[in-house]
Amino acid sequence: MRALLVSLKPKRAFLTAFLSLVCAPSLIAQSESPNVFTHEIRPIMERTCWNCHSEQVKSSGLDLSSREAALAGGIRGPAIVPGNAEESRLYRQLAGLEGPSMPLGVPLDESEIEAVKNWINSGAEWDEGGTSVVSSDQFSAFATDVPDSARQYWAFQLPKQQALPTGSNYDHPIDKFLEAKRRESGVIPAPSADKLTLLRRAHLDLTGLPPSPEETEAFLADTSAAAWEHLIDRLLASPHYGERWGRHWLDVARYADSDGYEQDVDRSNAWRYRDYVVDAFNEDKPYDQFITEQIAGDELDVTTHDTRIATGFLRAGPRVNFREKDNPERRWDYLDDVIATVGRGVLGMTVHCARCHDHKFDPILQKDYYSMTAAIFGYVETEYPMLPEEQAREYLLKTSELDERVSAVREQIRAIEQPYVDDLKVARIERDFPVDVFEAVLTADKDRTDGQKLLAAQVLTIGVPRSQVDSTMSELDKTRRAVLRSQIEGIESNRPEEPPMLEIVTDGDYRYTPDRAGDNVLGCPECRIKPEQPGSFLHDGPGRYEVPPAPFLIRGDPFSPGPEMTPAFLTVATYGEPLTEIPRPNGRTSGRRLALAQWLTSAENPLTSRVWVNRVWHHHFGRGIVATLDNFGRVGDQPTHQELLDWMAVEFVDQGWSTKDLHKLMMTSEAYKMASAYGNDANVQNDLENHLLWRYRPQRLEAEAVRDVIMATSGGIDLAVGGEPIFPYIPQEILDTAQAYGRWDNQLDGPEVWRRSLYVYRRRTLSFPFFETFDLPDQNITTASRNTSTVAPQALTLLNNPFVLGQAELFAKEIQERAPYDVDRQIELAYQSGLTRLPTVAEREVGRQLVESGSLTDLTHVIFNLSEFLYKR
Amino acid sequence: MGHSHNNKKKIWSRREFLMRSGGGIAGVALASMLERDGVFAAEGLLNADQCGVQVPSAFSPKLPDFAPRATNVISLFMSGGPSQVDTFDYKPSLTKYAGQPLEDLIGTKFAVRQGMPGPLMPSPFEFKQHGDSGMWVSELFPHIAKHVDEMAFIKSLYGRSNDHIQATYEMQTGQIRMGFPSVGCWVTYGLGSESSNLPAFVVMNDYRGGPLGGPNDWGSGFMPASYQGTLFRSSGDPIVDLETPQNMTQDQQRARLNALARLNQMDMEKYPGNSELAARISSYELAYRMQGCAPEAIDISAESEATKKLYGLDEAITQPFGTQCLMARRLVERGVRFVQLFMGGVGVQNTDTWDAHSNLVENHTLHAKESDLPIAGLLTDLKERGLLDSTLIVWHGEFGRMPISQRGVGRDHNPGTQTAWMAGAGIQGGQAIGASDEWGYKAEQQPVSAHDMHATMLHLLGLDHEKLTYRYSGRDYRLSDIEGKPIPQIIA
Repeated sequence: MRALLVSLKPKRAFLTAFLSLVCAPSLIAQSESPNVFTHEIRPIMERTCWNCHSEQVKSSGLDLSSREAALAGGIRGPAIVPGNAEESRLYRQLAGLEGPSMPLGVPLDESEIEAVKNWINSGAEWDEGGTSVVSSDQFSAFATDVPDSARQYWAFQLPKQQALPTGSNYDHPIDKFLEAKRRESGVIPAPSADKLTLLRRAHLDLTGLPPSPEETEAFLADTSAAAWEHLIDRLLASPHYGERWGRHWLDVARYADSDGYEQDVDRSNAWRYRDYVVDAFNEDKPYDQFITEQIAGDELDVTTHDTRIATGFLRAGPRVNFREKDNPERRWDYLDDVIATVGRGVLGMTVHCARCHDHKFDPILQKDYYSMTAAIFGYVETEYPMLPEEQAREYLLKTSELDERVSAVREQIRAIEQPYVDDLKVARIERDFPVDVFEAVLTADKDRTDGQKLLAAQVLTIGVPRSQVDSTMSELDKTRRAVLRSQIEGIESNRPEEPPMLEIVTDGDYRYTPDRAGDNVLGCPECRIKPEQPGSFLHDGPGRYEVPPAPFLIRGDPFSPGPEMTPAFLTVATYGEPLTEIPRPNGRTSGRRLALAQWLTSAENPLTSRVWVNRVWHHHFGRGIVATLDNFGRVGDQPTHQELLDWMAVEFVDQGWSTKDLHKLMMTSEAYKMASAYGNDANVQNDLENHLLWRYRPQRLEAEAVRDVIMATSGGIDLAVGGEPIFPYIPQEILDTAQAYGRWDNQLDGPEVWRRSLYVYRRRTLSFPFFETFDLPDQNITTASRNTSTVAPQALTLLNNPFVLGQAELFAKEIQERAPYDVDRQIELAYQSGLTRLPTVAEREVGRQLVESGSLTDLTHVIFNLSEFLYKR
Repeated sequence: MGHSHNNKKKIWSRREFLMRSGGGIAGVALASMLERDGVFAAEGLLNADQCGVQVPSAFSPKLPDFAPRATNVISLFMSGGPSQVDTFDYKPSLTKYAGQPLEDLIGTKFAVRQGMPGPLMPSPFEFKQHGDSGMWVSELFPHIAKHVDEMAFIKSLYGRSNDHIQATYEMQTGQIRMGFPSVGCWVTYGLGSESSNLPAFVVMNDYRGGPLGGPNDWGSGFMPASYQGTLFRSSGDPIVDLETPQNMTQDQQRARLNALARLNQMDMEKYPGNSELAARISSYELAYRMQGCAPEAIDISAESEATKKLYGLDEAITQPFGTQCLMARRLVERGVRFVQLFMGGVGVQNTDTWDAHSNLVENHTLHAKESDLPIAGLLTDLKERGLLDSTLIVWHGEFGRMPISQRGVGRDHNPGTQTAWMAGAGIQGGQAIGASDEWGYKAEQQPVSAHDMHATMLHLLGLDHEKLTYRYSGRDYRLSDIEGKPIPQIIA
């Protein structure tokens, strides 16, 4: 321990000295003596080894920061045998002669491997400075490109149109690909599921609602060959399809109706973004357009309310919503939230890992991270009136003009009140504060000690009750003030009625951000940092808008800005020379986000289409072809069927990015129609986790779907689409556990709140308990796939929760009305509505016992608790 | 146990099963029961007398990495941020330099959370040395002061945010941002549950309300939700939806549960090798046991008068937190792995938590009085019952407070240093670790981060903080992140 501390000190000094040189590589090179290690080996080690093999971080016990440590080696033994590269693990693993290949992520170039080999063969000497472990963070500004070998990784290659496997018995392309892999392992596919199972599966999958008995009857009656396709078409045309699939996207978008953090401010118009997403799915908005609108809906050639609302995607994450101007690090956190969401959500890449250093596993440079922040650096959050464009501009101009006039008059009022306020303050200080504070206030400023100055300045910011000001004010001043107040009233009478305000993102200058909701909480305008020069938050001419300088941050530290960055994208996934800025005719924004959106949705982007196709696949089949939906990098799971994924990605883009076509493609495969209730010991031996898709994977319904299916089964559900959020009842004792701020307009349980779960208000600091129990993901970061737990609180909720019991009673009542006095028929109806099938003989027996010794509610409640009820299978 | 999961075909990896069955509330012993008809028979488990009986389970508890010093934790979180210079960090220099600007003494400018800085302010509370070790404690904690020889004080715990919420997240999860698992989750993830009748991680809030930061303080972040703390209320039903609704008889519930078990059993047979379905069946058994056992666990009516007095239940001011401390002991006795108590809850922030911006004397006198005797009682009680050595007690807030005054009457937030203490777990008591500077403004000697504190806690529980990782979004996350190290004096 002591040795470590001692040896750290000189390094710290070195680090500090080094910071100023970060962007001057030539200086470094000159300051070192010419040596193979310094010139050739050290840069490689800094870039690729020392992140994980240093004195501080010894992955596998190995420290490569000094010759001694490298010779001592790690748990696998010495890393270097001087003079013998072939026997040296370091070389062997770099050259891929021995596993695991190093470095993780991007292999070294041939020339680099050769250099290491030569260096070891000539004795592996370290020169002066070689033992100084400088984290590669310090050098990141240098890395401006990735080696060509990095581009060879499958996910960075453009997907190619794959030839369909031949010699298959299947007609469907998906089945051909799957069959080829199954054959290799000798696993046997399950037979098709029965018609009713498929009906329920398709309904739950596409709309998140079970088929009604009438829908079931209609489907059974359709004996045509195209019955299945008809069903899919009908479900895709349902408005509830958009609700179901929109919800999946809202997970990606980390959507909530409140800000989070201490104040957890209500976002009263956030739901418009939620409805935008639902509508986009219902309209089958092409995915490239869907992404473009969400990234740059304010920069399009034709902007509409919808495209502006779409930018809500960028700001859907948690925000502190106050003291932003005084805390520059917060803005960087917001930008990081956007980069992380676009990276993981759209690109399937953990770009945000490169905020402080080059990515440890993937060829993502810290430079890429700051090029991408430069692409969104105009980012500001604002509100936009929901009016036709001309009127909207007029409204904004009018209100800002009125605001200015009002604040001028307010200033006059303040001047009248100030002497009274000052007197009252002094009186209050004398009464409520210690003597030394009062003394400090009474002492003339020039006579105050330094400490008294601080005390006086602090205490003079206290407030006094308005009523006291009024009661001490002279009649004359009151009259003067009344005149001014009526002036304000006069001005205010011209104020146009406030239209709904859209919560949007556009370009602006964050340094002039107006006060946020929370700025008043602090209530100390004197404490705020003022901008250095005048400027405006939003650009409204003359001339073109200019993006504020977007720096590189050394080690990701907002207080250590490096060089100014120009926009660019992920180097390793960039083909050709995409535009990085597309000037906008109106000059109000930079066009950088539009360029980013175009790159994301270009046919030359290797990631976007694959990532979306894979997400859709995940929801249909319960596991992505790449199981880590948000990570297609080296440490993500590798694809089980890369050719299939690529084939679908190419099809998808060729067919115009239609998600509905994608559903149909997947659902018409035999793989989708396979039974899930199928055992095969040999298959289990070969492919325990069912990666090869030899049976359909049952999936527990998500939290929202559990609630929706309960209400749909009972018949109580209100299927109105869209609109303001609802607040289903939460017991007071749970509300008490949440923090003081934040909105929850508790509504009693009843038909008004029996709307789909999509519409339940999402408050960041208080999850709706029912959803939380059923694995609602964290709402603050983009979600990959949801967890599925099976725990006792779920059982308690389904057994005892008053809402569930109420629905069970409603369900029973409804059946009773349809088949009074006929227990057998009642049991049948309960099974048909609840499980889309008839009961077996044994089930009839259990049901009959239950109903006859108790009530029909006993049975309907049991149905809500059945495993079968909770699964799509 | 002949019918344990081990005898069944292994379908899931152990990790996957633990994830799905929720590690924390894992106790699963289904096989033998399922073979009987009527699992939920009248003579079944809904009987508090049997709550001490551990139902054998193949899944929990999990083995630690090395011999643990403690098996359970009681974390006492002082919400709002108690002042170190008024409690355990005695600074005579504050008297010497009273009324002077701190800026002049330290030579640098600094910002405070609310408005502008005031001059240095001496503690209005008297300090004395206590115990054989001579630890300094202010007059605020006369009862805790009697235990100083069992307590290790960390006088240099620092954080990165002067915002309550973010600072609370840091102390609870290691990160100042939302979305990360709390210490209790990590411990549950690492060690599983000792109890088959109760959750492994239980949280109890102040009677005035939840702490700043809300449920994220005990949330599971990117881990499965099953690892998150289960909130127990200290009156009424401890868990929401625990109790059978009033209009349902126990017979009725039993009839439903028995029918459910039979139908689910028939269903499971159609899905060979699907252990999720088995887990679901057993989750109903645990739910049934919890209905009986959770209320028993926090039912303090059976405690002796002497015990109640020890925790201050006979005095109105100490009764609320005393009740929670006593419940914490009962939960630990019953195998709950991690008990998180919050002292101070959001009602009126400046008075209901330790957030003494506007009246230090009144605020700290109140909260110290509410918690001093109960905490001392807890230490005494655990020791008398032989539980102190196997239980780790941790006390801290989200940050400390400034040595300078706020308008002559309060103190502003200070993430630069706070004093935390640990006791139990065989820790060498009567020692002070690290030190703040002359004014109690910043950690100076041996600064201890939240990561260090968390690494220390894991180590005491027998977990290697470098090996306890959770893979999320392609990265192996650690509670102690990349730089946390156990505090050597505590794990010595």
